[in-house]
Amino acid sequence: MTSAGQLRHATIVQGMNRMPGLLKLGSFLALLFLPALAMAAGGAEIQAMSVEYRDVPGIGSRNLVWVVAQQHLLLAGFVLGVPIFAWICELVGWKTKEQRYDKLAKEFTKLLTSAYATTALFGGILLFLLIGLYPKLMAYLTDMFFPSFLVYCLLFLLETATLYMYWYGWDYMQGNKKTFHLFLGFLLNLFALGIMIVPNSWATFQASPVVVGEGDAWARAWMAMKNPTWWPVNIHRLIANVVLGGFIVGAYAGVRYLLAVSREEREHYDWMGYVGNFIGVFGMLPLPFAGYWLMREVYQYNQQMGITLMGGFLAWLFILQAMLIGVLFLGANYYFWLGITHRIPGSEGQYKKPVMGMLIVLLLCLGVWMTPHSLVASLAEAQKMGGTHHPLLGVFGVMSAKMTVSNIMILVTFMSFIMYWRAGKQETAGWAKAAKAIMGALLVIAGIAVVVLGVWGYFVPAIIRINYFSVAQVLIVLFIMVTFTPLTALLMKSAKTTTEMVWGKMPIRAGYSLVLNAVMVILLMSLMGYARSSSRVHWHIYGVMRDTSEYAYSPALGYAAAFMSLNTFVFCLIVAFIFWVATLGDKAKAQPPKGSPVDIPSHTAPAMAGGAPSSGEKLE
Amino acid sequence: MSEVALLQIIGMCVIGVGIIILLFIKGMFLRVLGFVAMVLGVFSLIALSVPQMASLPPAVETFDIASVKSPDDLASIGQKIFFSKGQCALCHSIGPSESARCPDLSGIGAKLSPEFIYESLTQPQAYIYLDFRHDGIPKEYPAQMPHIDQDPIGLSKQEIYSVIAFLQKMSGEPISIKVEDIMESVEEPDVSLKVASVTSPLNSQTPNMADR
Repeated sequence: MTSAGQLRHATIVQGMNRMPGLLKLGSFLALLFLPALAMAAGGAEIQAMSVEYRDVPGIGSRNLVWVVAQQHLLLAGFVLGVPIFAWICELVGWKTKEQRYDKLAKEFTKLLTSAYATTALFGGILLFLLIGLYPKLMAYLTDMFFPSFLVYCLLFLLETATLYMYWYGWDYMQGNKKTFHLFLGFLLNLFALGIMIVPNSWATFQASPVVVGEGDAWARAWMAMKNPTWWPVNIHRLIANVVLGGFIVGAYAGVRYLLAVSREEREHYDWMGYVGNFIGVFGMLPLPFAGYWLMREVYQYNQQMGITLMGGFLAWLFILQAMLIGVLFLGANYYFWLGITHRIPGSEGQYKKPVMGMLIVLLLCLGVWMTPHSLVASLAEAQKMGGTHHPLLGVFGVMSAKMTVSNIMILVTFMSFIMYWRAGKQETAGWAKAAKAIMGALLVIAGIAVVVLGVWGYFVPAIIRINYFSVAQVLIVLFIMVTFTPLTALLMKSAKTTTEMVWGKMPIRAGYSLVLNAVMVILLMSLMGYARSSSRVHWHIYGVMRDTSEYAYSPALGYAAAFMSLNTFVFCLIVAFIFWVATLGDKAKAQPPKGSPVDIPSHTAPAMAGGAPSSGEKLE
Repeated sequence: MSEVALLQIIGMCVIGVGIIILLFIKGMFLRVLGFVAMVLGVFSLIALSVPQMASLPPAVETFDIASVKSPDDLASIGQKIFFSKGQCALCHSIGPSESARCPDLSGIGAKLSPEFIYESLTQPQAYIYLDFRHDGIPKEYPAQMPHIDQDPIGLSKQEIYSVIAFLQKMSGEPISIKVEDIMESVEEPDVSLKVASVTSPLNSQTPNMADR
């Protein structure tokens, strides 16, 4: 080890002496288990003295790291999102006593063991590539963050041990032990959250570094971790992982629904697709708010970075983002509407007009959201318009309009869900009429308020709009969601079912719409990853360490989109492989005889939508 | 053929393959893959149809001592260092700012002597105020300011002088750093590690502010 390495090691040991006992034990264990990483980091430092970069012939170092990092991140999102999905399902099954939710949770937890291994594999490849191809940068980050590496590895050990207990103890921990199993599921997600937020600090430090003052290694690492965009990214990624987990489950169910040969299979995967879509939409609704907070923090940290993102060379990226989010909103709503018309017989005519109205509103909003600030125009066209701003469409190209329509799209999607929830039921509570009237009035007032604030936003300074008007719009929409959900749940609790819900009758296009939603989410994650990385422009660490390699430029959107598409396709294949491997054992099991009772009652409404849980199969 | 045209052809081929699979292949899994390929091909084509702008890195700024002819040149270099290598603008603002995490530096060149600024940059813990906003013994504020002459920022002595020249100019003060002083300091060995004892061109005595 070099003298600098010895000095740092001594500093770490000194830092450990000042730590609480448990943390010290954990760090010591992590140190024991991590000789390879420590040596690799030390090696990077030695190499950094002579080599700043290495290249890979043909594909190029940057492109190779791009593909591997993207696969690792998407897989990580998957393995962090699925446990949240599984735990929520298990919790719902435990609360409602419906066995099918417990089975669903178990089915997806089974995937985690192979998915974890694949994620770790790509993580390991990424680490080796980074150490080999970017030794100077890695030496700097290792010097800054080494104590957090230990915490990261400790969390991995805890996560793995918890996953083993959670998965292998599933059948054992039923009945009285179920609460402990749920607690294990909670711990699993808690450690997973830690595994996500620790490396987030490394990546966000690259985008929004802070000057690190004096202190021991632990204090310095903590100072660097607490950078301005750390928590906005943590929250944004946490919600995004829920969305990814939900929609991938939905896509899996969609594919299995398309492949299904028996009625039982169709019913099962139709229901699974519903649950996946529900959780995906549930996460998607607050996601734009988290994204807004992140952008606010970026602007607060460095206005130039914000301008690069929103108004600089990445401005057109946000038009693509609007398109993808718009298709996702349309896809999720379309699936809800298909559910209303195919699962609840006789409701086609009843909901035709509201569905058409919602579709028109969504398309209009999408049109506004996708309107660019500056149009691509020929010289003659620009002279006619008096610039690149269209006299009419230019009004829609600004943030005030986009914030307004995104809030309206969230409101419409939320109302789609409420409509689906209430379909085929008749409220019996005495106060139902008054409650529905109040909800209707609140919805109208909220819609008008969001539009008024949006229009008013044109006439006030940007800072007033950003700090007050946009925040007010978000709070109004959140208020509607927070008040309508429990109110509808109360209404539906005593409602009588007028039309039974029928599973397994969805058309083929429903399966494709679930696949489309998942592809949109994966593309969105890839696109925004490119945006986050490109916002640093020619810096490895913004304003601190300049990228002096031949790949210091940020590629244009078209080239980047080709990579995103490639990454998305490869990720889909990897996930399909994981699902295939995980279900190999099931295929070997004997098929149940025809006509045997299925575990999914075809007439029940899902408990997640406040249906009649009492009619489901009871847990022992 | 341009890169965009090549990618467009690839995108169209992918869409074509997707259409052929959907039209002629009956296997449902392959049909789903064909559908995904079509979606991705359409996305790529749309992305290729918007203006294609790459972000190229600017030329690397270097401190060329030979280019310094006047104190104004020095201040100009100092300004570049302030906003780039020196990382000053990561925390400090010049003028009121909501996002600044550390003191506003507007007028700092008029308020503080060059010696004090030099010491603040190289020995941030040397002179710190006490925190009386609580009962009991006043505590020392930990200085967030890093040693600017040490890694990772590691400004050279000439670069620090340039930044001070910029701060003075920005504050409307006459620039007290002389070009000759800069030239002399180039010849001093290992200046960055002997900050406390160095005979600086700013002042022949650099007092330790903590003694005050």
